[in-house]
Amino acid sequence: MVRVKYLERPSLSIWEKIFFIDFMKGLKVTFKNLLQKTITTKYPFEKLTPPKRFRGVHAHRVKDGNEPPSFSVLEKFMDIETGESRCVACYMCQQACPMPSLFVIEAEQLPNGKKKVKKFEMNLLNCLYCGLCVDACPVDCLIMTDIYEMAQYQRKNCVVHMEDMSERGKDFDRRRLKEPDRIWIDDSERIKLWGQVKWS
Amino acid sequence: MEMFGTIIGLTVKSLVFVIGMFLAAAYLTLIERKFAGHVQQRPGPLHVGFHGLLQPIADALKVLTKEDLVPNNVDKVLFYLASLMAFVPAIMILAVIPFGEPIQIFGFEIKPYITDLNIGLILALSFGSISIYGVIFAGWASNSKYPMIGGLRKAAVLIGYEVALGFAMVGPIMLAGSFSLREIVYAQDGFFGAFIWYQPIAFIVILFAILAETGRTPFDVQEAEAELVSGYNTEYSGMKFGLFPLAEWYIGTFVLSAIAVILFFGGWKGPEIFGPISPFVWFFLKVFMMFMFFLWVHWTLPRYRVDQITEIAWKVMLPLSLLNIFITAMIILIKG
Repeated sequence: MVRVKYLERPSLSIWEKIFFIDFMKGLKVTFKNLLQKTITTKYPFEKLTPPKRFRGVHAHRVKDGNEPPSFSVLEKFMDIETGESRCVACYMCQQACPMPSLFVIEAEQLPNGKKKVKKFEMNLLNCLYCGLCVDACPVDCLIMTDIYEMAQYQRKNCVVHMEDMSERGKDFDRRRLKEPDRIWIDDSERIKLWGQVKWS
Repeated sequence: MEMFGTIIGLTVKSLVFVIGMFLAAAYLTLIERKFAGHVQQRPGPLHVGFHGLLQPIADALKVLTKEDLVPNNVDKVLFYLASLMAFVPAIMILAVIPFGEPIQIFGFEIKPYITDLNIGLILALSFGSISIYGVIFAGWASNSKYPMIGGLRKAAVLIGYEVALGFAMVGPIMLAGSFSLREIVYAQDGFFGAFIWYQPIAFIVILFAILAETGRTPFDVQEAEAELVSGYNTEYSGMKFGLFPLAEWYIGTFVLSAIAVILFFGGWKGPEIFGPISPFVWFFLKVFMMFMFFLWVHWTLPRYRVDQITEIAWKVMLPLSLLNIFITAMIILIKG
């Protein structure tokens, strides 16, 4: 059974009616805000650092010795050198994606029997940044970075390729690999960015 | 020949007033935007010029060079007339506002007002009401549902506050014994001679009426941007659009603040500490404080519904102003 509690609307006292007390209270609040420092970020000149788990533009981790065990199993069938993208063209990301035509993945077999990834393209115009492809990746290759400025002048520039994705992955790992993986950067970092914000 | 000189003088003076008011209104937009920004803990315009000082000029250039669209099915005559109808009467109120006493410069007597009518206050009141017709015409002529609702709301509010405003102005008029704005200023002597000490009820009613007339926030039902898209000026673009907020929010508020200052705060009177220009300094200081008060209220309060506004106007403000007239009349009768 749903319980409903009925409340009377509190009526104003006679003093509040005559001297507009609540009106004055509102004016006081805005005046206090007027004297406070602004809390905005002057965007094109200052940029906030997103948390590490931010779901920005995609990137590829490269083969650098920190691979998960699943990669060492697959490695002997693949033609990947150190410093190249560790993608094994398993199509898991495409399977997980709610918009599968976003991925264009091609691989070929070399004469020595090894598999080489030729093409890995994502059309980010169709992407909704849900992160399911990142969860699906078995070799911890496909990741999402903290880069959020993705606007381009032409549609074809919104398609990301394997080379620039591995460049971006190297850059991201260099900057933030050691950072603890948490949802929000800790309080001291936040105070450094925003100052001590007193929530009213 | 003397007639000719008078006409030339008046024309020059009117031009100075109109152009000055235009520039002042442009910079009042900047003041309002900075104020609104800081109330919401953001800086407002910042990058065009030093702290956004050139922003009004950039805005004016943008608005003036925009394409002037007129929708197909509008009432063309009223559509063009409406923006002028809102703007011209609002700036014409300046004709009766005295900014100071006549001063002598190089042997010429320069009067810092265009004319001193003996019905100045009634003229200001009537032009203020005509200015509202622009809003109502814009709502009707746009042939679209949101402007229509906005215009009708403004009409409903107009009927409510205009009566209270008229009756509230009777109190200071009775004390001064004149409709001329200069005479009203001369009737207030010294700090405790200002009519605010004798007419606090009338002052509150007039504050309410000015907020309603200029469409500032507690009573901005005609352009309630959360309910109606942009209210009465939804279909407008370019400078025809720009004239509406200029007329209502800036020139209207400025001019009505000036009238409120003349009625209640002794106009240009004040201690003469700034030498010969001290009347102007005091007058503009008072008007500016009044304007900032309206801004402050605007950026504080949420919006009333139309029925609540008409209820306040008819059930609270009109009886208060009538009571004020009665009390004032009794006191004048007793004191002689």
